[in-house]
Amino acid sequence: MLLLLAAVPLRAQDSVIVIDPDAPFADSTPGGGLPRSVIDEVLRAWNDSTAVRLIGQAEIPAGNTVTGHVAVFRGILRVAGTINGAVTVINGNAVLLPGGRITGDVLVVGGRLVIQEGGTHEGDAREYWDIAPVYRDRDGQLAVREPHQLTDLGTAEASFNLGDVRATLHASTGGTYNRIEGFPLSLGPEFAWRPGPSDRLRLDLTGIVRTTTDQAGIRSDFGYRTRLEWRNLGEIGFGAGIEAYSVVTPFEEQNLSLAESGWSSILLQRDYHDYYDNQGFGGFWFVEPARQFKVQLSLRRDRERTVRANDPWSLFRNTSNWRSNPLIDDGHFVTGGIDVTLDTRDSRSLPSRGWYVRARLETGSSDDVAPAELPSEVRGPIPTDGSYGYSLLSLDARRNIRLSPESRLGFRVYGAGWIGGDPLPVQRRQSVGGLDILPGHDFRAVRCGGEDDSDPSSTSLCDRMVAAQVEFRTRLSLGWRYRLREGERPDLDRIIGIESADLVVFANTGNAWLTGEGPGRVPTNRLPSLDLWKADLGVGVDVGFVAAYLAKSVTNGEPIKFTVRLQRRF
Amino acid sequence: MLRSAAIAIILAPLLLPDALRAQGGDAVRLEVSLVADASRQTGRIPDVRVRGLLDDDRWTSSLRSGLPLRLHYRLELWRSRGSWFDALSRTVEWDVVVRREPLLDQYSVTTVLLGRTRHRRYPDLGALDDALSTPYRITIRPEDKGEFYYAVTLQVSTLSDADLDEMDRFLRGETGPGPEEDPGVGDAVGRTARRLLLRVAGLPLMRIEGKSPKFRVR
Repeated sequence: MLLLLAAVPLRAQDSVIVIDPDAPFADSTPGGGLPRSVIDEVLRAWNDSTAVRLIGQAEIPAGNTVTGHVAVFRGILRVAGTINGAVTVINGNAVLLPGGRITGDVLVVGGRLVIQEGGTHEGDAREYWDIAPVYRDRDGQLAVREPHQLTDLGTAEASFNLGDVRATLHASTGGTYNRIEGFPLSLGPEFAWRPGPSDRLRLDLTGIVRTTTDQAGIRSDFGYRTRLEWRNLGEIGFGAGIEAYSVVTPFEEQNLSLAESGWSSILLQRDYHDYYDNQGFGGFWFVEPARQFKVQLSLRRDRERTVRANDPWSLFRNTSNWRSNPLIDDGHFVTGGIDVTLDTRDSRSLPSRGWYVRARLETGSSDDVAPAELPSEVRGPIPTDGSYGYSLLSLDARRNIRLSPESRLGFRVYGAGWIGGDPLPVQRRQSVGGLDILPGHDFRAVRCGGEDDSDPSSTSLCDRMVAAQVEFRTRLSLGWRYRLREGERPDLDRIIGIESADLVVFANTGNAWLTGEGPGRVPTNRLPSLDLWKADLGVGVDVGFVAAYLAKSVTNGEPIKFTVRLQRRF
Repeated sequence: MLRSAAIAIILAPLLLPDALRAQGGDAVRLEVSLVADASRQTGRIPDVRVRGLLDDDRWTSSLRSGLPLRLHYRLELWRSRGSWFDALSRTVEWDVVVRREPLLDQYSVTTVLLGRTRHRRYPDLGALDDALSTPYRITIRPEDKGEFYYAVTLQVSTLSDADLDEMDRFLRGETGPGPEEDPGVGDAVGRTARRLLLRVAGLPLMRIEGKSPKFRVR
C-alpha cells in the first residue's frame, strides 16, 4: 500500500521550468558537467594537508567533536556529534543525524546533504548531483580523471593497504608495441606512504618483460624501472627523487605518440620511432608554483647502446621486414636537464581552449663515446678523448581557442635542436616529415642524410628542426546510424553509427637542417630560407576516438596521403 | 584504389545529400526561442525545449532495456562580434536523468536544478514525452551592450557502465568504495574492454544543437 502511495505518478505538467543561475544557495552551474570551479574547490579541499580526510563510510558519534575541515571521498558521512568547521563530501552523501551539528559550510558533490530532524547546520550548504570526475592517485591526492581513449588499452592495477603503506600492483603493456621489444610488459608493485600530513613517499619497482627476444643477443629480455620519489603537497608543491632503470628508450619524440606508433606496429608493421638501450640512474628535483606550472631539474648517467630491430609479429605485412633501427653513438652519457611545463588546457586529450608549453634544455657529455660513422657532410669527427659535450633545446607550444560554439582554432610550434658544444649524438638528432608534423610528406622527408643516402633505417640526422601547425575544427552533425535487429526482441536491438564529428582543416610547415658553415648548412644564428620549407594542407574527420585525414604537400609533387590517428593531432 | 577509398570516406560527410545525412536525426529538435527580459528593456532570455526525443526509438528501447537516459544541456551566451570570431560570455549546464521503473511500470525523471534534485514519475511514454518537452527558461542575460545569441547543446546518452554504478549507488543512498577503489586486475581489464566495445559498437549517443536568433542589447 505504501509502495502504491509512493508511486502515484504526477500528471501535472509544468508550463516552463525556470533556471536562475544567479540565485543564491547554489553556484551558477547546476547539475551535470560540474563547473570547473567546483572541481577545483573539491581538489583544494581534499588535497589540503590540514584537512581531516575520510574514505568510505564515516561517522562522528554523539558526544565527539572534530575541529577543522573534514573531507570525505566516496562515502556517507554521518554526523551525530559536532564538526567545528567546513565539510566537503565528494561523490557521497552527508547525513546530519538528530543531535548532530556542523558549524561550517557544507559542500556535497555527487550526492546529497540530508539534515534529519534535530540536526543543526549553521553554515551555507551547496549540493551538486553530478559525480565529480576525480580519482585518488597513488599519492592519495585527488586528481581530475581524463576520458578514456583507445590508447588506454591493456592496463590493470590493484591496490591494498599494508599498515600505513598503500601498495599497488600494476600490470600494463608499457603503452606500446615496437620492433625492438614487441610488447614490453610492465609488472610490479608500487608503495606509497605518508610520513607527514603534506608529505608523500612513493617507491616504484617495475620489472619489464619483453615478448620479443633480441636476435643479436645485445639486450636482455628483462628490464626494470625503479623510482623513489618524495613530494610535498603544500601550497607550492615541490619534491625530489632518484631512479634507476634498464629500458628501451625511443628518441625523437615528436613523431606520433608511443601508443599510436604501437598500434601502427602491431597492425601494419610500421614503427615510427627509433630506440636505444638505456641503462642508468639519476635524480630529479621539481617545484610546482601553481597546479598548471612545473619546473624540473634532472641529472642522469646513462649507458646508451645501439639495439637491433627484431621481428615481432604484426597482423598485416607480417612477412615483410621491419625498418632497421639506427646505429647510435654508444657510450656513457651524463645529461643535465631543465624542463618547464605550463598547461592551462581544459582537457589533455580533447582540449578546446588553453595553452600547453613545454621547454627542455639539456646538456650532455661523455668520456667514452664510440661514435657511429656518419657521412662527413653530416657530421665531422667528434672528440673521443673524454671532452665530448653538447647542448640541446626543445620547445613545444600549443594554443587552442574557441571561436564559436561549434568551432575551434589550434596553433602549434615545435622546435628542437643543437644550441652549443660539439655536434649532437645520433640519438639526439632531428628530422621532419611524417604522420604527426607533416602528414602530407613521407616519413622523415627531411632528415639530412647527405647526397648518397641509402640508410635503410632512415635515421634522423639534422641538427635542428622547426615546425608550425594550424588547424580549424568545426562540428558536423552526421546523424549516421543504423539499427541491427536481432530477432523479435526489441531489447536486443543495437544501434551503431556516428552522430557528429569534427571537420578538421589544417596546414603545416616545417624544416630541418644542419647548422654551421659550409655547403648545405645554415649558419647557427639563421633559419633556412622560406622557399626550402616543406608545407602541406589537409582535411579530415575526427569522431573523437579516431580520426582520418588526407594531406597533400604543396611544396613537393607527392601524392595525397591518408592518415588515421587515435588522438588529437595536438 | 586504396587512396580513392580513403578520399571517399573523408569527404563523404560533405558530399552526402542532406536528406541522407539527416536520416533519423531530424526527428529530434532542439529549439531555442527568445522571450523578453523583464529586467532589461532590450534584453532577451532563452527558452530551451527539446521536441520529439521519444519519437526516436533508440531512446525508448534503451529505457525498456533498463538503461537510464541522461540529457545533458549546455547553454552558452555568445557575443557576436561581426567577424569570424565570436566571444563566449557565459555558460550554464544542467542534467535530466530518465529511468524506467520496471516494478511500477512508470518512468522517473530526475531533474537537477541549482544543485538540487527534483524527482517526478510519469505513467507512460506520452506523459514522459510531454514532461521532457517542457521548456527551460534560463535567466542569464548579457551584462554589456552589443549583439548576442544563445547556443545550446543537448547530449543524450545512455549512462555508461561506470556512470550507471555511480548513479545506482547515489539513488539508493548508498556509498562506500566504488569499483575503482579496489579493482581486481581482471575487473580493470574487463572494464577497459567493455568501454572500448561500447564506444566502437555503438552505445547510443546523440548530440544536437540549437541556436537562437541574434538580438541586440542597447
